[in-house]
Amino acid sequence: MGLTRRDWLQWTGGAAAGVMAAGGLQAAFEEHFQAATPAAAGEQTLITSCGICSPSCGIKATVKDGAIRFLEGLEGDLSGNGHLCGKGAAGAAFTYDPDRLKYPMKRTNPKKGLDEDPGWVRISWDEALDTIAAKIKDAITRYGQESLLFVTLPSPDVWMRFMNAIGVINRIDHIDECFLTDRIIQRYTTGGKTWCNDFENSKYIVLFGWDILAKAKLVYANGIVDARDNGAKIVCFNPQYSATARFADEWYPIKPGTDLAVALAMIQVLLSENLYNKEFVDAYTNFKDYETKIREHFAAYTPEWAEQESEVPADVIRRIAREFAANGPAIVPAHKKTLCANYANGSQLVHAISILNILAGTIDRPGGRYFPRSVNIPGVDNIYPPPAYPPKQGRRIDGKEKLPFVLEDGGGMFSTLTDGILNRYPGMIKFAFFNFYTALGFPNPPQMFEALKTIPFLAVMDIIPTDTANFADIVLPHVTYLEANDLVARDYKAKYPQVVVRQALIPPMFETKSIAYVGLELGKRLAPDYFKTPAGEFINLNTLLDEKTKRSGLGGSFAEFKAVGIYENKQPFTPRTTFATAGGSGKCQIYVPQFAEKGADPLPVWRPKRDLPSPEYPYYYLTFIPAVHRRNTTENNAILHEMFPTNSAIISTALAAKLGIKEGQTVRIRSRVGAIELPAHLTETIRPDAVMVAHGFGHRSKFLTKAGGLGARDGDVIPAQTIDELVKAGNFAGAACIMDAVVNIEPL
Amino acid sequence: MAKYGWLLDAKRCIECRACESACKQWNGVETGINVRYRRVNVSESGKYPNVKTQALSMACNHCENPWCIKACPVKAIWRRDDGVVLIDRDRCVGCTMCAQLCPYGAPQFNIEVRKMEKCTMCVDRIDAGLQPACATLCPTGALKWGKWDDIQNKGAAQVPGFANPNQTKPNIRFVVSGWGK
Repeated sequence: MGLTRRDWLQWTGGAAAGVMAAGGLQAAFEEHFQAATPAAAGEQTLITSCGICSPSCGIKATVKDGAIRFLEGLEGDLSGNGHLCGKGAAGAAFTYDPDRLKYPMKRTNPKKGLDEDPGWVRISWDEALDTIAAKIKDAITRYGQESLLFVTLPSPDVWMRFMNAIGVINRIDHIDECFLTDRIIQRYTTGGKTWCNDFENSKYIVLFGWDILAKAKLVYANGIVDARDNGAKIVCFNPQYSATARFADEWYPIKPGTDLAVALAMIQVLLSENLYNKEFVDAYTNFKDYETKIREHFAAYTPEWAEQESEVPADVIRRIAREFAANGPAIVPAHKKTLCANYANGSQLVHAISILNILAGTIDRPGGRYFPRSVNIPGVDNIYPPPAYPPKQGRRIDGKEKLPFVLEDGGGMFSTLTDGILNRYPGMIKFAFFNFYTALGFPNPPQMFEALKTIPFLAVMDIIPTDTANFADIVLPHVTYLEANDLVARDYKAKYPQVVVRQALIPPMFETKSIAYVGLELGKRLAPDYFKTPAGEFINLNTLLDEKTKRSGLGGSFAEFKAVGIYENKQPFTPRTTFATAGGSGKCQIYVPQFAEKGADPLPVWRPKRDLPSPEYPYYYLTFIPAVHRRNTTENNAILHEMFPTNSAIISTALAAKLGIKEGQTVRIRSRVGAIELPAHLTETIRPDAVMVAHGFGHRSKFLTKAGGLGARDGDVIPAQTIDELVKAGNFAGAACIMDAVVNIEPL
Repeated sequence: MAKYGWLLDAKRCIECRACESACKQWNGVETGINVRYRRVNVSESGKYPNVKTQALSMACNHCENPWCIKACPVKAIWRRDDGVVLIDRDRCVGCTMCAQLCPYGAPQFNIEVRKMEKCTMCVDRIDAGLQPACATLCPTGALKWGKWDDIQNKGAAQVPGFANPNQTKPNIRFVVSGWGK
């Protein structure tokens, strides 16, 4: 076996080379995985990319005797800057999780429920794919394309082609809980995703709930640390004193959901005192075209007004606005599920944030938000152009047609899905495929479990047996990112183009496959014409990857590129002078006429968050994702589980005293849709009118031997939405309103 | 005299816990029994809203005067010439005396094998010319490792929440001033 532990013991002073069980991942490896690992002697250092979150930090991996030994950062990589976070460093524990799904399986117990044993029976890939293909065909034939539900990101390209080829209209993803509002607003205000934040060159950074340090996203965290090193001032508005707040010069425990008021007031100060970057604004924005309208619109949003909403003192807001203007380059990041952008007023807040960046004149300028200079890696549709896709016909289960900007974007809608399945169109969905998503990710998971029971056939592809897999008729085992091949272009931090390889450090274990394989194989069965090369042969995934490598100029073949691992072209950064805003003006848009045309706010108007504290539900309910976890996918990772195994109700000592709650005491948090019970954790770091709960816990699948049964589902108290609620709230960019709940708290 | 030591700049810590993960992975430390050679401990001080927090990444400090060695009744703990303190698990009887005396909670009881274990400063990596896994992974430079000669005069010997260094003379210093460049 010759595994690492033994070597390590020998090093440990020689005398310690006694008999001892191998520990940690090595034990898991020896017990559960070694038989599935082809013997490969010797030690290799390989370059690959992390797959836990999307910036995909570069990895330098040590693989020894066929086992993943150690993961560390890749020098020169833009995303991780040569480092990994705690999640990334624990990556091999996903691959060596004994609970992993290993083979395709079908259920033998027709009764579905969280507590029902599915009665899994191992089946072949052919049987699994044939069954799924037959179910899809039957659903389309009898009920039309609208009866299919695919809960999956729109990637990879081959999987997406499969969905397009069979005319899937109901594809759903979690983006409305994430960056959907930002992506839509950016399209119309600056022209594209300005996800890159040039913090290291910023001198003034204002953070509205933006707490990505506390999520340990290195692509941004490194920049914030650099900003401090370079003498930037950082101001943080957050109801909780987070890890990010610790990096700030000033922290204001803003009233939840009122970031918009402060942002509007900052704009008011910049405009009324003419402190904006005139050179940029005159040359590159539509300010002049709408100046009177814009000035009139913001005139009423004075700092004094904002103080009443937000509890941030008016003189503070005024001073910060002035400093923001005088001490630039200044930046206000937005993006991702944070405490600011996932309220019902998230569309307006992100618009206000975008205007602040425009007024600072730092869009695509040093110290501001800039557009990534990425390598455009061609997709399968570029390489093997498909026949025309069939039109997407039928009803949308998520009601997205009522939100034209969301419809155009294509992202979302987790928050309206269960209402669609259970109430708007009950019985419409006959077949569902969940790819790497579980019910825990939705608002109100119990409602999702009920919805799953109404779907006649459910296929689930995942790495681990999630709660949702428990409801599946067929489960398919997915490879981990450490067993996968791909090309990853940097676009979270990319002043110049860079690509890092993702390569299988070890061959896929057991019978695990990728979702691209499933797309291709289902495609061959259901829409073969879409899966052929011009030569008439079926697409081969390896050849496709070679083609992508060649056409991106990365090398003659994927094998050739993976030996090098990283490509970059350090071309100088030339700031944009035309902006690709939707509508074609070529300018940044402060006033967005296209929003007005479709009944949305052309300028951000003040709207309160959806649910406000009431006598019955007096407290704000906030959720967060711990630094060592990612969404709801990492809690069963042995290393991460040990560090952060469960969640608690984080409340202030003042509130605890008022309610008679002691540290560790179980409390019940109840909202208008549900209740959870979990131990209290007392702190001085949070507003006394709020409670905070970590997302990702409360898995109930008994097949998850570590995470199963631990913690509470934060989502059980978060209302799912109806599409009409969203429209009525003016939530035109479709925020899922994860942070809008209010609750009651009682000690038990 | 110790050859190596830690330099901790707590204000740079983002609590990502790469140091912890790297340690577990490199050293193959058993999971699920809460043996963690390195831990990031977050403490808070002050009253809302004038609150502060501090994250300290802590492991064995490979003390100049290691109480664990004094505590061990079977002489299972020893110190290399370069100052790295190690537990010889062939000799260890798992009595936990070392854990009871260590002011830093470094030695931990592995309930599976009923023996003590702790941070080895990744001696295998040091001997191969590498840095310990934790310091290698730390993305922000909050946790640094190096020659004690270069570290011993830097910063302060103690921060709030850290045991009196005069007791065991730990080989760790804390950056406390400026924005710790």
